Amino acid sequence: MFFQHYCWTAVSDPCHKEKELSLPCKLIVKAVLPVFRCANVLGRNVEKCSISTSPSDHHITFQLLCKHGVVKTYNLTFQECDPLQAVFAKHMCPNILKVHSRLLADVMIHFPTSQEEITLSVTPVKVCFKSYTEEDTDFSRTMVTEIHLSPEEFDYFQVGVDSEVTFCLKELRGLLAFSEATGVPVSIHFDRCGKPIAFSIEDVLLEASLILATLCEAQKEADSQERCCPQQWGSSETLPDKPSGDEPNSTDISKNPQRDGNAPTSPVAKQEVKSIPRVTGRDVTGRAGTPTAEAAGEATEAPYQKFHSLFFGAVSHKEKDATGHTFQSLATASDTEEDLGPLQSSPVL
Amino acid sequence: MAGQAEGRQCLAKRLASTFPGKGERKGGVINTISKLTKTCTLRLTVCKLYFILSDKVANGGASMWCELCQGNFFDEFQMEGVAAEHNEIYLELVPENLSRALKTAHSAKAVKIKLTNKHCPCLRVAVELPSLSSSSRIVTHDIPVGVIPRRIWNDFREPTMPDFDVSIYLPVLKIMKSVVERMKNLSNFIVIEANLSGEMNLKIETDLVSVTTHFKDLGNPPWASEEGCQSSAQGRNLESMAEACIDIKKLQQLLAGQQVNPTKALCNIVSKRIVHFILLHEDVSLQYFIPALA
Repeated sequence: MFFQHYCWTAVSDPCHKEKELSLPCKLIVKAVLPVFRCANVLGRNVEKCSISTSPSDHHITFQLLCKHGVVKTYNLTFQECDPLQAVFAKHMCPNILKVHSRLLADVMIHFPTSQEEITLSVTPVKVCFKSYTEEDTDFSRTMVTEIHLSPEEFDYFQVGVDSEVTFCLKELRGLLAFSEATGVPVSIHFDRCGKPIAFSIEDVLLEASLILATLCEAQKEADSQERCCPQQWGSSETLPDKPSGDEPNSTDISKNPQRDGNAPTSPVAKQEVKSIPRVTGRDVTGRAGTPTAEAAGEATEAPYQKFHSLFFGAVSHKEKDATGHTFQSLATASDTEEDLGPLQSSPVL
Repeated sequence: MAGQAEGRQCLAKRLASTFPGKGERKGGVINTISKLTKTCTLRLTVCKLYFILSDKVANGGASMWCELCQGNFFDEFQMEGVAAEHNEIYLELVPENLSRALKTAHSAKAVKIKLTNKHCPCLRVAVELPSLSSSSRIVTHDIPVGVIPRRIWNDFREPTMPDFDVSIYLPVLKIMKSVVERMKNLSNFIVIEANLSGEMNLKIETDLVSVTTHFKDLGNPPWASEEGCQSSAQGRNLESMAEACIDIKKLQQLLAGQQVNPTKALCNIVSKRIVHFILLHEDVSLQYFIPALA
């Protein structure tokens, strides 16, 4: 629906016979932006925009066919990459809020642009955003802001479990700017602290998700501590009392980097990616963001392990294929690498 | 801690939206001040609020005295100072924080400011904003402040009007601002000179270029007709210019902070010593002293 003409040819690779390969590639956004600068001017002059790729020499070509026979061609080099997919089951989150991006933007305006993290705390009767301050913050210098909202302000409000999640505000601002431009409401899916929080927008033409890890506070939760391992994106699937057949391998990941499974402190946030299978969905183009892992070091005594990751996938659906879109589980234990098959998949984001 | 030593310091002020202009104007004053200095002193008395910057070396010798009547801004004002005979509170704060807290105050239903002591003394600004639902949005900002002990209150006395040579009304601030901003690109220092015939020149001089902007027919405030008139100005040749060379950045900051044209804007020049700016709005008066550089 987005494109007038969309043609995708599978490039079959003799090594991976069973799977069709899409072309995951990454471009530097700064290189692409100048192509589409000045939307007004483009709207007036450009009749057609054609995007084509030549995988052999790693080029993607943008051609703007303008009035009066003028053709602007931009050749950009891309790098092949293995996109990271977050293993995260949105539908299993107990807390779901849906609100227009304008409201969120109005809330975020109260925080200074230098504010790194904020805390969202919900109960069935109230919602509160407040600036996050670490324990060793010098309060005599720091301004603390709190915003209280009533659940009525949300288009959809479901709070299954009282929770307080802390996440990176800076990343969210980017998504808010984007969603304001599209005018689509934002859905927020989250759980307790330590589990990821997802901000997503969904529209006829596109779907975008921002999944952020949340701060895991060691003091708060006792026995489910080991599950709060930040690199377990979809830790809801790893809890033994919530079995979900789709992600059998997620539990395996937790064992590898975790040195002290039952320790009250959170394990080290080290992202170990063993094998990254290709995306199976045919008409899905995923654009992977760069995970920024701030591993807090090997110290076990650090009570907070901060791990910020950003996954932003813009998905354009060619056809409505509700069940067919699946992403393969990203990090699998090395022993299951060989029997990777279409069954090993997590629900689409 | 100073806060406890000073005894009870209860303070509750409520700024309500029945006077919608108030929040905005107070925001405007705070905005101006936040452009002039990073930290300043807030002095609270029963009738007035003062924003004070004393002329320490750290400020480059510039000092500021800004006075406003609390009745013009607050619907409710309760204050208890240190002791009955010293019914005042002196706080040190970062005006930028206050400015940010009041950013949305102009569309607020109510604004409440309270002095509290949680981890440290704070000004708690609670803004009640309208919302789509029946209950309002409440935004709370805790602005850390420092309580200034009584023994150094003397540092913050009102500066006296200097014995000036020339007193003159300023040109339209918008024009003056754009001139100074352009001059700032060329030089770090600017010379202000004026005479009692309503003429003012702004001059900069570098190795490569010298630029002068002339203003005339500005008018001179009638100090001479008041009691206790300044002797330096009396009997002075009307054409003779008094001048002072000052840091251009300070002047630019002062002008940049003015969003609304003041009712009265004038400056007093003590030749080669200091320039004293007075900006009067309806309910706020701002005095800014910029010392002359050698």
